[in-house]
Amino acid sequence: MDIPYTVHARPDTGLYNAKVGIWLFLASEVMLFGGLFSSYIFLRLGADYPWPIHELRWDLGFINTVVLIASSVTVVWAWAAAKMRQFGRCQLLLAITVICAGVFMVNKFLEYKAKFEHYSVTLTDGSILSGHLEHGYHITFGEIQELNLNIPVKHSAVTSDPVNYVLPFAEGTIPAFKTAEGSDVTLDAAGFTKLRADAIAKAKAERRDSAVVKLIAASPFKLVFGKSDVFTYTADSAIFRDGTSVTGKLIDDKITLTADALDLRSVSAANRENSIAFDARYLGEAWKKHYILNRDKEIHDFNTKYSDGKGGTTRNPAKSATFQKHAFGLHIEGQHPPAAGAAPGEHGGAETDAHSAEAGHSSGHGAKVVIEPKDVTFFSNYTPKLNTYYAIYFTLTGLHGMHVVGGALVLLYFLLFNGKMMREDTEHFANRIEVGGLFWHFVDLVWIFLFPLLYLL
Amino acid sequence: MSAATTHDHSHAADHGHDHHKQAWIWKYVFSTDHKTIGIQYAITGLLFLLFGFFLMLLMRWSIAYPGVTVPGVEVIRAIPGLGFVFEEMFGRWLNADGSLNGELYNMLGAMHGTIMVFFGVVPLGFAGFVNFVMPLQIGTIDMAFPKLNMLSYWFFFISCVMMMASFFIGTGPVQTGWTMYSPLASTMNIGVTNVWNHGHTWWLMSMVFNISASLLGSVNVVTTVINLRAKGMGWMRMPFFCWAMFIIGFLLLLAFPPLEVAALLQLSDRLFGSSFFLPTGLMEGGKHLDISGGGSPLLYQHLFWFLAHPEVYVLILPAFAILTDVIPCNARRPLWGYKMMVYALLTLAFLSFLVWAHHMYLTGMGTMMSTYFQITTVLISVPSVILLTGLMISLWGGSIRFNTQMLFASAFLPMFGIGGLTGLPLAFSFIDLALHDTYYVIGHFHYVVAPGTIFALFAGVYHWYPKATGRFMNDTLGKWHFWPSLLGMNLIFAPMFIQGMAGFHRRWYDGGKYFEQTAQSQNWSTTLTHKIGAFFGFDIPDNMLSLNIVMTFGAIVLLFGQVFFIYNFWVSIKGGKKVASDNPWDATTLEWATPSPPPHGNFVFDVNAHRGPYEYSVPGHPTDFFPQWESEHGKPKPDGSDEVKTASASHAHH
Amino acid sequence: MSDSADPAELQKHVKKYLFIGALLLVGTVITVALAFVELPTHSMNIILGMIVATIKASLVALIFMHLNHERPLIYKFLAFTTAFCIVLFVLFIFSNSDPLVDHNFEKPLQPAEQLEAP
Repeated sequence: MDIPYTVHARPDTGLYNAKVGIWLFLASEVMLFGGLFSSYIFLRLGADYPWPIHELRWDLGFINTVVLIASSVTVVWAWAAAKMRQFGRCQLLLAITVICAGVFMVNKFLEYKAKFEHYSVTLTDGSILSGHLEHGYHITFGEIQELNLNIPVKHSAVTSDPVNYVLPFAEGTIPAFKTAEGSDVTLDAAGFTKLRADAIAKAKAERRDSAVVKLIAASPFKLVFGKSDVFTYTADSAIFRDGTSVTGKLIDDKITLTADALDLRSVSAANRENSIAFDARYLGEAWKKHYILNRDKEIHDFNTKYSDGKGGTTRNPAKSATFQKHAFGLHIEGQHPPAAGAAPGEHGGAETDAHSAEAGHSSGHGAKVVIEPKDVTFFSNYTPKLNTYYAIYFTLTGLHGMHVVGGALVLLYFLLFNGKMMREDTEHFANRIEVGGLFWHFVDLVWIFLFPLLYLL
Repeated sequence: MSAATTHDHSHAADHGHDHHKQAWIWKYVFSTDHKTIGIQYAITGLLFLLFGFFLMLLMRWSIAYPGVTVPGVEVIRAIPGLGFVFEEMFGRWLNADGSLNGELYNMLGAMHGTIMVFFGVVPLGFAGFVNFVMPLQIGTIDMAFPKLNMLSYWFFFISCVMMMASFFIGTGPVQTGWTMYSPLASTMNIGVTNVWNHGHTWWLMSMVFNISASLLGSVNVVTTVINLRAKGMGWMRMPFFCWAMFIIGFLLLLAFPPLEVAALLQLSDRLFGSSFFLPTGLMEGGKHLDISGGGSPLLYQHLFWFLAHPEVYVLILPAFAILTDVIPCNARRPLWGYKMMVYALLTLAFLSFLVWAHHMYLTGMGTMMSTYFQITTVLISVPSVILLTGLMISLWGGSIRFNTQMLFASAFLPMFGIGGLTGLPLAFSFIDLALHDTYYVIGHFHYVVAPGTIFALFAGVYHWYPKATGRFMNDTLGKWHFWPSLLGMNLIFAPMFIQGMAGFHRRWYDGGKYFEQTAQSQNWSTTLTHKIGAFFGFDIPDNMLSLNIVMTFGAIVLLFGQVFFIYNFWVSIKGGKKVASDNPWDATTLEWATPSPPPHGNFVFDVNAHRGPYEYSVPGHPTDFFPQWESEHGKPKPDGSDEVKTASASHAHH
Repeated sequence: MSDSADPAELQKHVKKYLFIGALLLVGTVITVALAFVELPTHSMNIILGMIVATIKASLVALIFMHLNHERPLIYKFLAFTTAFCIVLFVLFIFSNSDPLVDHNFEKPLQPAEQLEAP
């Protein structure tokens, strides 16, 4: 009662079961990545912002390509070795394959980590400043005296739970609280459960859908929270994600960014020089002058390089992504622009200088700017949120990474636990390596398209 | 072996393991046997069909009687246990007076669609029947990958649990329709305390498991058909059932991944704040959302419908698969045009990947796209008509046995015909502009799937029940099941065409009560309803809204019919009439050569397919059927001492 | 080949795999180099890059995955899969740009005097 054709091929189809199975699975995988690649095409063709090119570390991508190709060779070699009954070599080659997968994932980790720590701030006129947050981004709210709890009677997604969603953000000591009626409340898990039960009972008795409880703090306290911890905030109130609102005073919600690049491609051509980023509060005149010098140099270089001899160019500058990127972008290496050529840098940077003196910190790899939220339309680190390019980049490479891990685990299993089968049932073992290998080659094949599409083009 | 017991996995703890050494948990719950898995899928599917039907009943109440307390709510709430479950699932969304509100209606609508399609019809029609019947019909002992088969069921089970769990969490289940269109589905309820409080997250995760289950299942089915056919079972000797299931396997295999992509991208939109499906400048509640924009809702619709159109054929083809067994068997005639039907099937499957955007004429995707999709959509009606015609002509000149399964099968033909023909106008973008999202569309696809596919699935249950349990289902109760079902289905869905053409939108929770212009319109059907109502002493107004009452009445009639089925199904497991032979319907395909129920390993002799699958009423043959497993010399003996001995060579165990 | 167990034959295959591996590395270097060459338009870079990637992918599929002498059945699945994938790509492109309708209709009309000029 064994299932036929598990090891040897069925004569009329010429295939053993697992091979039919893996090819069908790969067909499905082709459609999966086909769907993702067609989404990439759709998003790129429909993008309403300059599609990023050469923004990722191509050197890391290159190393990963080499690693994957090497592992593809070793896995198919391992299959041949198993067929030739060279068991030691087969195991060595499998081990190398798995190690290659490890190297790939380490590189991927480094790449992702760098992206997560990098931030981008879009200003109201479309200028984009990118850089690092030395101390993260926090909103500070002080002089808080009141918590307003909103507790629906029925099981609901939004129900106040200050113990878990508000008080963890408190800085300094948490004061005692009193209800509006004057009774004392301890805001810990047990105390809140009781408060909640009482409030619900009361609301039920009054036939209301939800209970509103006002808690008054014995002394003002301070909350420091992230942007995603609240639904919304104004100058004197904030509503947390659990529906609890606090009243107090907004102390600080400025973004302190160590800027390393400025991108003006999304600003209309006439307004680039007057970008908010060159405001005296931010980068200042010196960087503006530097930008103009750099831009003119790039335009000159472009016109010389692609001159058609009749005063025009052979290439359309509007369609050269690299030219646009270099001419209308700016690298910010230090607090001040380099004093190269005739750039009057040392005079113009007084304002930013003042900022940096204030902060008492001079960064070696960017200019420190303190951005006011009213000038910001969008703020994110380099995650899927930033734009559709990063969204599809993380989805494609993340899913591909999961395939790498999955494939490597399968091969590792064959390496560690199928030793007996290798020696006694070599044909079956070789089939397993072949099937695992087919999947592994497919993973390599996907990367062959991913690497140029995301890293290079 | 043939005395082995029923395969009812949930009630089998107390009996039936004396013939096998396996503990019952391995035999009935974590079984790798294709028959057990098939029955697990089928019963899960039936339960979900019932659950989805109850969701629909609640919706229909709200449509016919908006703002009126749902009958029996207070009674259910008072029942201990059930009351709590009801309160957490539906009760907390009801209005204070116990009537439905729009929010709950949207949840019910979204979950009714999802559950019926992905948890009801596909698990029963494809996974249930294919697992139980297909390996028997091609004459093998099990599926190609039994462990993956078990894994497939348990992935599906996890997805069921997650989908049901979404009723109990903070936001309740999804409210954005079974299609989950972005941007609404990408942004709805996005701000609550954590992502696991969204019904949406659970829906998407559940679909990821569901898709994985279907992937494992379809790889298994296709591999089994390719590599495990018995000796003599050439491609063109394979029953049409196996052909159809083989093709459905391909459809699932190639169409589901783009939905998985859509689900992943939407999950990313919701969890990581990306903008795959969100255009620049999107506002909600008068505020710009905190997103980058740059994506497109059209992308979601393309990915979704790339799956969902082949999925429509995944819903319909099991019906054809089952009926190509039921109709020839009960008409005692060969299947008409077997080869042509196979080619039509292949054409249909191919074209089904090229028609998806006829669901999207209203999105402004461009004239060329609409033109292209109108052409392919009209083309695909040709193979569909061939399939239906083949079944219909198979009846010609037959001596038909009108048992329950044949009643369902013969009702399928006109019902599916109505569903198919009403779809033709929708293929043209200019007509679709008017009818899109109206009840006309609802009537159209429900005629295809409800009195169409589900009737065929009932026929299949009645047909193979004796094989699975060794007992018949009661034929009289079957007729009590059939006639109310037929009446109920038509009372529900026929008025939808009239309402749809009058402009009734599909998502009105109040059935159009607050849309005066549509509500006040009248025609012959409303007058008829009014007069019939008056005859029985009911005051039904003479306007389009009265049709809502007709439909709700139809739903109750339908419920009445199902009571007989549920009773019949469970009681016949132990109380049904025992089968006298292994081939009670005098059928020709290989599954009827096995004992009833088939033991582990299925066949007690070496099977060999000697001829095509539909040799009924063969001139010169002593009986009116000539089974595939019988050679010219007669039936093979169980010990294999027959001439089929030679056949075992190809089946030798390596 | 997948059923051949002749060691000499397999040894030859191993050499072939190493050679193809080297070829793929060369292909990768070409891919990277191409990305930094300014062709007349960036789309040409993309097209060229994709052609090189397709060649590399074909090598992997044909040699490493043994597709150069696989059974007809597998070619049949893959033919359909590829066809549907291409449909997906092509139709997604067409839903962004529609060659049947004039794309300039949303732009403002030209001034009257220009329209009247012969």
